[in-house]
Amino acid sequence: MAKTYDYLFKLLLIGDSGVGKTCVLFRFSEDAFNTTFISTIGIDFKIRTIDLDGKKIKLQIWDTAGQERFRTITTAYYRGAMGIMLVYDITNEKSFENIKNWIRNIEENASADVEKMLLGNKCELEEKRQVSKERGEQLAIEYGIKFIETSAKASIRVEDAFFTLARDIKAKMEKKLKEASNPPKGHQLRASEPQKKPTSWLSRCSLL
Amino acid sequence: MPDCNVNFEAEIEEGQNKRSVKCKFCSSVILTPATAAIMNVEHSLPLIRQTKTTEENPDTETTSVFWAVKDMFTFQNVGFSNTVGNTKYLTCADCEAGPIGFHDIPTKMSFVALSRVSHGDPI
Repeated sequence: MAKTYDYLFKLLLIGDSGVGKTCVLFRFSEDAFNTTFISTIGIDFKIRTIDLDGKKIKLQIWDTAGQERFRTITTAYYRGAMGIMLVYDITNEKSFENIKNWIRNIEENASADVEKMLLGNKCELEEKRQVSKERGEQLAIEYGIKFIETSAKASIRVEDAFFTLARDIKAKMEKKLKEASNPPKGHQLRASEPQKKPTSWLSRCSLL
Repeated sequence: MPDCNVNFEAEIEEGQNKRSVKCKFCSSVILTPATAAIMNVEHSLPLIRQTKTTEENPDTETTSVFWAVKDMFTFQNVGFSNTVGNTKYLTCADCEAGPIGFHDIPTKMSFVALSRVSHGDPI
């Protein structure tokens, strides 16, 4: 059967435990599922499909699966990651302060050109806010990454965040492909033609 | 709820899913039309709602009608649980309700139980 997608991006969610990396609408309106078999064994990863500029993109999104409790994440986990969503909870000052530690961890373990994005998550009420939106924006500027505040109760923003991250990865990838093909004026090589020596980053991409 | 008495014939077209496969609880699209093959195989699945959840000994039921998917990236939206033996359980990607089926690690095949999902027109 023919492949049903154009790109496959591996994304990671990173942040302190309890910032709501996995929280979604349903868990707030109906906590019955918190007592099920699935929440006991935990979710390893999710596959999501999005459409971006007419391209079908599969996102494979990995959660840190509790590794974050040790305040560090192993290199193996970062292998092949093309995008990282750094998540903190706006009602938890500590989770925001730890973002700097997570960025250091990423710099030490992940591929240098991994696309990053900062996400201030609001799992509870606005009244409990400890981290202002401005501080989030400031931190993002400091690291030269994008920033978005999301609420699990307005899942649409969460989706926006993934779209933004995916769009940036796609743009970076297409730019690299263009450079790699080094087209002489007039004749453009097609992106799908095999490259002589793909970079390690490119070799991890599924380009179909 | 045993699924052997339920008639799924209307959902099958040329051995595949005629309509989108969706989450029963939140309508998240799991499979788009004509992407999975119908398969009859008996498999025990833990219940979505457990009375007393214990990881080692969950309440289960036998399910026998599945949508079989060869490549996990065929899924539109789906969650994979952590590994239990040779299996990863499948969940809704949005509300995380599940197991809606299972993924067999040795064969890399995924199976979605028809009785654990709903079917709807393409969106």
